[in-house]
Amino acid sequence: MTEEERASEDGDRSLADRTTPWRARETGAGGGLTGRLVRRFAWLDAPLFALILGSTAVVVVGGLVQVSMGSYEMTIGQAWAAVFNPNVLFDPQAWDAFLLGEAVPEMRTESLIVWNIRLPRVLVAVLVGMNLAVSGAIFQAVTRNELASPFILGVSSGAGLAILLTLVAFAGVTLVVPLVVTEITLGLSALLPVIAAIGGIAAFLLVYAIAWKNGTSPVRLVLAGVIVSTVFGSLQTAMFFFADNIGVVQSAIQWTTGSLTGVDWEQVRIAIPWTVFGLALAILSDRQLNVLLLGESTAKSLGMRVERARFGLSAVAVLLAAASIAVAGIVSFVGLIVPHVVRNVVGSDYRKLLIGCLFAGPALMVAADVGARLALRPTQIPVGIVTGLVGGPYFLYLMRRQENLGEI
Amino acid sequence: MGERGFATDGGVGSTLGGDDDGDGTDDSPATDSDGGGASEFGGEDIVVGYPNADEPVVDGESIRVPPGEVTALVGPNGSGKSTLLKGLADQLSLDRGTVRVDGTEVHELGAKRLARKLGLLSQDNAAPNSITVEKLVAHGRYPHRGAFESLSDADRDAIDRAISMAGVDHLRDREVGSLSGGQQQLAWIAMALAQETDVLLLDEPTTFLDLRHQLQVMEIVERLRDESETTVVLVLHDIEQAAQYADHVVALEDGAICARGSPESVVTEGLLADVFGIDAAVTRTDHGPQVTPLRALGDGDGGNETGESDGAEE
Repeated sequence: MTEEERASEDGDRSLADRTTPWRARETGAGGGLTGRLVRRFAWLDAPLFALILGSTAVVVVGGLVQVSMGSYEMTIGQAWAAVFNPNVLFDPQAWDAFLLGEAVPEMRTESLIVWNIRLPRVLVAVLVGMNLAVSGAIFQAVTRNELASPFILGVSSGAGLAILLTLVAFAGVTLVVPLVVTEITLGLSALLPVIAAIGGIAAFLLVYAIAWKNGTSPVRLVLAGVIVSTVFGSLQTAMFFFADNIGVVQSAIQWTTGSLTGVDWEQVRIAIPWTVFGLALAILSDRQLNVLLLGESTAKSLGMRVERARFGLSAVAVLLAAASIAVAGIVSFVGLIVPHVVRNVVGSDYRKLLIGCLFAGPALMVAADVGARLALRPTQIPVGIVTGLVGGPYFLYLMRRQENLGEI
Repeated sequence: MGERGFATDGGVGSTLGGDDDGDGTDDSPATDSDGGGASEFGGEDIVVGYPNADEPVVDGESIRVPPGEVTALVGPNGSGKSTLLKGLADQLSLDRGTVRVDGTEVHELGAKRLARKLGLLSQDNAAPNSITVEKLVAHGRYPHRGAFESLSDADRDAIDRAISMAGVDHLRDREVGSLSGGQQQLAWIAMALAQETDVLLLDEPTTFLDLRHQLQVMEIVERLRDESETTVVLVLHDIEQAAQYADHVVALEDGAICARGSPESVVTEGLLADVFGIDAAVTRTDHGPQVTPLRALGDGDGGNETGESDGAEE
């Protein structure tokens, strides 16, 4: 069969398609530096760009609402003026206070409230949204299951159990850290963020150990995650049973449903290093994630050490999830829905998907936190309740619309 | 072998053996000085099975693949042909035995270097539906790129060559999920070609395809042999296809190699009766031996040539 015959049979094959080399097509007329730039940012296509713009708009509007509303009333104009107050924005001393935890310099009441109380809450929401969305996206590639979430490998149950143990069983225990000149005494509850993160990571390692048998497989990892979550979940419930006052229970619930109430710059400081580190690693690993999607045997025959990649990527995802647990508790559904929404818009290519998650995650988180803070004013509800209320119906909608939900 | 491509230029072939073979295991002078440049590939005393099973599927077989030629593994369902291929490809770890490419044991090569020498297209391929053919083929360059490198011009050339060799130019920007099974298989083959390995292993590349796509796949295999020095090993379900296209046929039964050699010497009425359990007439034609299945013999397993689906496949 000649080339032409085959062409006519396949119909849509044009001569131009066959003869134009792709370099020319992809870079347009300009070669050299512009060509390379165009190629480098070829992933930024129209759907992704629209997603980024839309998400940024949601974050800005949500942030604006958050900083202007609350028990100290101010107009949107006042709040905005406070946000862009040059005396704060360009004051190195203020940034020292925010980012390094030194004393906050003198400033006007509006500025103080906006910068010291309301803005950090928005920032933490942004960081948590990014972390959870990217973490979920990674786990979906690692398990090759679109319904995987950051907490699928037991992270949430481990963190939850660690929190309850701390609050209920070891409430009175204090930790004495000897220093050279003095020693500091810490109540264990002051270390709650760290303990939560450690609990999550420990559960993840336990899941991996259970799943390991001459290597792992996505299915065995998920099953091991279910096993560990079930057992730890029961233990959590048992701890609730033994809690002797309602305050402890409420505080534990805040942690296990995820809440941004009362966060300030300290939470920003806790989350930022891990976030930057983890997100950079994730985005640099986009090709590994894409190759993992091709299935284990293909990935292996392409020269990937699948087991190592799977563990490394899971570790990055757990790190991101743990960082968000440490500052906001266990916020459900964000890591599940956001990658899903983004995938529907930009497709399954992980470069685009991860970049999209960096913007869409914060959008959902900030919007949900507006609801959590303002829906039942003056009572604040944990933000995790709002994300769950939004997430459930979204999945119902997907289930009705899509035949084969779950396949990437 | 990035620059070599599919050219038959003998002189360039020598660059691949020498430069990155600098580890201690230099016990194969014969292959390095081999003028043709086609890769030596084979396994010795291979014992391989699945982790959960007690008995190995293939127990102590050796296979040497003629360099630069097409070798077909044939056998009834469950005969261990795919298992043997996976063992050769280092997808299943061997219980015993060694597999060597150009004299170097595959384990000593390291994952990426092995993937530059040895490619495998497995049977169960899954890609996200929204990936384009071009992106899929680009993944074939994975072993040639550093961890954080972007595609080089050499990579792009290799992708172009692979796409045109597999005849999927017209599908280039289509999403894989929108293609027919046959077109998807061609896209996957293009990905394996973009890997530009010296040895290419294909696990049942024509199974479940319509006749036209089967022919397209086998034409690619022929071109690989004729236009490059790639050594091809493929598992074929269809013994007639093996007889027509392969230079060398290896027949397996119950995990043991029971015949090997040219198609004429292997595909015989006697072998079809013994190994495949069928009574068939074999006629010699210009395209190799032609098999006309007549009836299934006895009630042993695996005798049905009409393609009854396999229960416990390898």
